[in-house]
This record gives sequence, structure tokens and C-alpha cells, in this order.
Amino acid sequence: MIFALWKKEVDSYFSSPLAYVLIGLFSLITGIMFFNLLVTYSDGIQALPQNMTQDISFVEEVVVRLFANINFLFLFFIPLITMRLFSEEKRLETLDLYWLAPVKDWQLVLAKGLAAATLIISLLLMTLVYPLIIWGVGVQDFTLLGTAYASLFLNACAYIALGLFCSSISGNQIIAALLSILGIMFLWMITWGGHLNSNYILSEIFTYIGITSHFEKILRGLVGTQDLIYYVTFIFMFGFLTVKSLGRRNW
Amino acid sequence: MDKILIVDNVCKEYPGRSAVSNISFEVKKGSIHGFLGPNGAGKSTTMKMISGLMPVTSGEITLFGEKISYTNILLKNKLGLLPENPPLYMDMTVESYLRFVARLHQVKNISQQVDQVIDQLSLGAVKKRLIGNLSKGFKQRVGLAQAIVYDAPFLMLDEPTNGLDPQSVVELRDVIKKLSAHKTILFSSHILSEVEQLCDHITIIHQGRIKASGDIAQIHHKFRKGLVLKIGIGKGEKLPELDQFGKHEIAEFHSLAQEEQFRIVFEAEKDCRAEIGKFLIEQGSRLMTLQVESPELEDIFLHMTENK
Repeated sequence: MIFALWKKEVDSYFSSPLAYVLIGLFSLITGIMFFNLLVTYSDGIQALPQNMTQDISFVEEVVVRLFANINFLFLFFIPLITMRLFSEEKRLETLDLYWLAPVKDWQLVLAKGLAAATLIISLLLMTLVYPLIIWGVGVQDFTLLGTAYASLFLNACAYIALGLFCSSISGNQIIAALLSILGIMFLWMITWGGHLNSNYILSEIFTYIGITSHFEKILRGLVGTQDLIYYVTFIFMFGFLTVKSLGRRNW
Repeated sequence: MDKILIVDNVCKEYPGRSAVSNISFEVKKGSIHGFLGPNGAGKSTTMKMISGLMPVTSGEITLFGEKISYTNILLKNKLGLLPENPPLYMDMTVESYLRFVARLHQVKNISQQVDQVIDQLSLGAVKKRLIGNLSKGFKQRVGLAQAIVYDAPFLMLDEPTNGLDPQSVVELRDVIKKLSAHKTILFSSHILSEVEQLCDHITIIHQGRIKASGDIAQIHHKFRKGLVLKIGIGKGEKLPELDQFGKHEIAEFHSLAQEEQFRIVFEAEKDCRAEIGKFLIEQGSRLMTLQVESPELEDIFLHMTENK
């Protein structure tokens, strides 16, 4: 059942221009970003005395920055991907099709989430050319690249869960997208609030609730159990809220 | 099981207004049951409640002996619904959409079932086309196809011919008639002639209340005030004063469009054709027609739905 629902959603993405526009735009922007980071890194190296160049980490200056920038792009790309998932179906009254079939709400939410994740994977596949270039310039820390991709993917999954929920509570795609963008920004701001708060306990709580600290740790290869628990809990919680939001419908 | 659907004292209330109030009716197995009412009468709301898409505020709906609720998985393959706005995906082809719906309903032999429905609804010519590019008539047929592709024994069609051109209406009616051979159908409409042609049982709803429900013939009988006679006399003649015909009291008298034709409604139901015929001839009229008229469903409907 989930496979049928997932396939329908993926087919729907790739039969509309949206997926191709997003992939093209994403490749273009990340390409420009990567090029700029490489040039900045190269200029920085050349400007420094020979004995100090080892202090500038290629991974930190290029890889980490690139992936952090891609995470910023997700602020706009993911709401665009998730906004239509439920709100359009609400508007067209096509959800009745599922309510009249032996489809469980969680199966529908999971399938739609997986379909959005599939499109995100397609976007990330476009960036695989950068590791090849990085490998070409002599960086061979592929473990770090692996965790960097994992951090982006986990963040994307969290944003998708949030976006799905926003889409389920609004019958208007634009409102769903705006809610998602605000939600993601809020997740970032909580972390900043944690950094700025002088109270240690509050600071720790804010830092844990905010997504950025977990993303940055995994991005740098510091994969901790509490970070993974955070993502699993976050995704599960918003998945659960989406299921509840759908179950509420008119009942 | 004689009664497939039992709607028992159902109410649906929204804050500040009532959509349907204490409605009760039954649908018999194998019948085409017409659900008649003007726009906004509560037909779609009732159908949504029957299909479990909307909760009842009070009362109970039983389908195939099971109480309706949106979580009742047991009923989900037994009920096919064509809502007023069919749930269609415009970016899918007809065939892939029907396959998808069949898969949702866990149909075992999907290809065979989809092909059969495509044949049944004459969708073969458009099966590879995107639904979004089809005419309204074809979209409506695809909507009907999704309701029958999993072979549900009970079908609910919410104003299926609404907005279609006359040819599509006739074709769709034929399809519904054929489907009724092995399905029970609840068919909502505000087009009376359509209901008369298709249905053997009806329920009339107005302003959220049931005005009549049952066999069409029985409803006709129930709402007949008295004997209705249509009388035609010779051209250029005047109808004699009926005051002299004192044996039976006349409730209403109407002159019809043709000058020599009249409709007389008597207080009593007793057949008095022989007497009035004799009376008219005695008065010198040439009696051309004398026939008993059954009230039209339209008359009953208008009578029930008039705002008093």
C-alpha cells in the first residue's frame, strides 16, 4: 500500500515542471556556491605565508560551508516541495479517495513524506559532482562527506515532517509554505536563543530543541546518539501531529 | 438482508445552523433509490455522512448491518461514491488513475478489473489521456469508474449528471441502469424526470428534513388528493356549468393550455368517470377525452418543497 502511495506521489512530482525547475535551480545555486567557496579558499591560501596554510582546513572552509549553505537553501526548497502534499488534495477534495479506501492515515503520511524525501535525494544526487572535485584536489576524507550528507538528509527529513504538518492544516498551498518557512526559521532561532541566553540550563534546553546544533555536530562528523534521537523524535512527532490533523478532519 | 442502508434519526449540526434534522430513510437491496431535493437541501451532507466522510451529530447510520464510522475498514470496499466533485488527479492518465484506485482498494486482479470498467464506461478511447485534458462528460465517467472499479455492491452517486450535455446525460443514465442489475444505488438529483426514469424508490429531502420516502407508486398514491380527471370536449364548445353536477364535490378546476381541455380534481377518490361522462353528454357536449391523471412526481415535489 505504502509503495503504491509513494509511487503515485513520486510520479506526480516528476510529471510536473516543479521537480525539474527545483532540481535545475538547486544545481545552479549550489554550483555557484561551490565555485565561490573554492575560489575564496584558493585566494585565502595564496594570500597566506607558506607555513600557515595548514591552519586553513579545506573541509571546514569549503565542505562544511557548502553544506551549511545547502541547508539554508532547504529553507525555501523544502516548503515548495511539501506545500502541495495535503493542501492541494484538500482543495481538490481528492483526500476522499483515501478515506473511502482501506488506507490508514499514517500510511498516507509516511508515503507522502517518503516521496518528498525521494525528491530531496534527487536534489542531493546533483551535488555528488562536488565530492568528485574535492577528491580531485586531494581531500580523501569521505567519512566526513558521508556524515555531511547524512546531516543534510536528516535535516531535510525534519523539515519535510514539519512541512507535511503545515500542509495538513491548511487548504492553501501558499499559507502551508509560509508556515513551513516560519517553522524552520523558528527552529534556527531557538538555537541562536540558546547561544545568547546567559542562563546555563535554559541555554542548554534551547540549544537542544533547536535543530542547528545537531546539524552542525553531525556535519562535522560528530554523530552522537542524542542527535539521532533528536531527529527521530522530531520526525516522529510531526508525523504523529500530521496523522492527528488528518484524523481530525470533519470528525 | 433486505435493507442495505438504514439512516435512523440522523442530525447534522454546525455552529448556528442545522444541515439535516432527524432524517430517517432506508434503501432496499437491489433498488435504485432516488434522493431528491433542491440545491442546499442536505443531499450531499447526508451522502457524506453515509460514506463516513463526515460525522453525524446524533442518530445512527447502518450500512450492510455495520455502524458507519470513518474508521470502519470493513465497509470501505463495499461502498463506492461519486461525489459532486469527483476526486480526480488531473496529472494522471485515466488508466493509471483507475489502477491506482484499484490498488488502494486491494483489488486482486487489477488489470482485468480496470479493463472491464474501461469497457463498461466506454473509456477505451481516452484511457491513455491525462484526466485534466478530458471533457466534463468524460471526467464524470472517470469519476464513476473510480467508484465501481473495486466492485462495491453499494453505489452512491451525488448528482452525477449535473452540468453534462444532453447526450452525456443519456449515456450516463444508461450506464447507471446497467449497473443497477447487480448493485444497489443511491442516486441524488434535483432533476425529477431523471429520478422518475431511473428510480423505483425515492426519498425527498427539503431544508434538511425528509418529506417523503418509499416506493414511488406509494408516494404518488399518498399524495393524491382525490380523483384527477382530464376532460376534453369538442372544438369551439364551452364546458357546461359543473355546479349542476352535484354528486361529487370538486376541489380544484383548471383550464389547460388547449382551450377545450380541463383538469378537475375531486375531493373524493371514487371513480366517477361514467357519471361525469353521462352528465356532459346530457348537457350537449361532445366528449373527446376523459382520463384519470396520476399526479406527476414534479407536482408532489413542488408541493413538498414549496416554502410556506
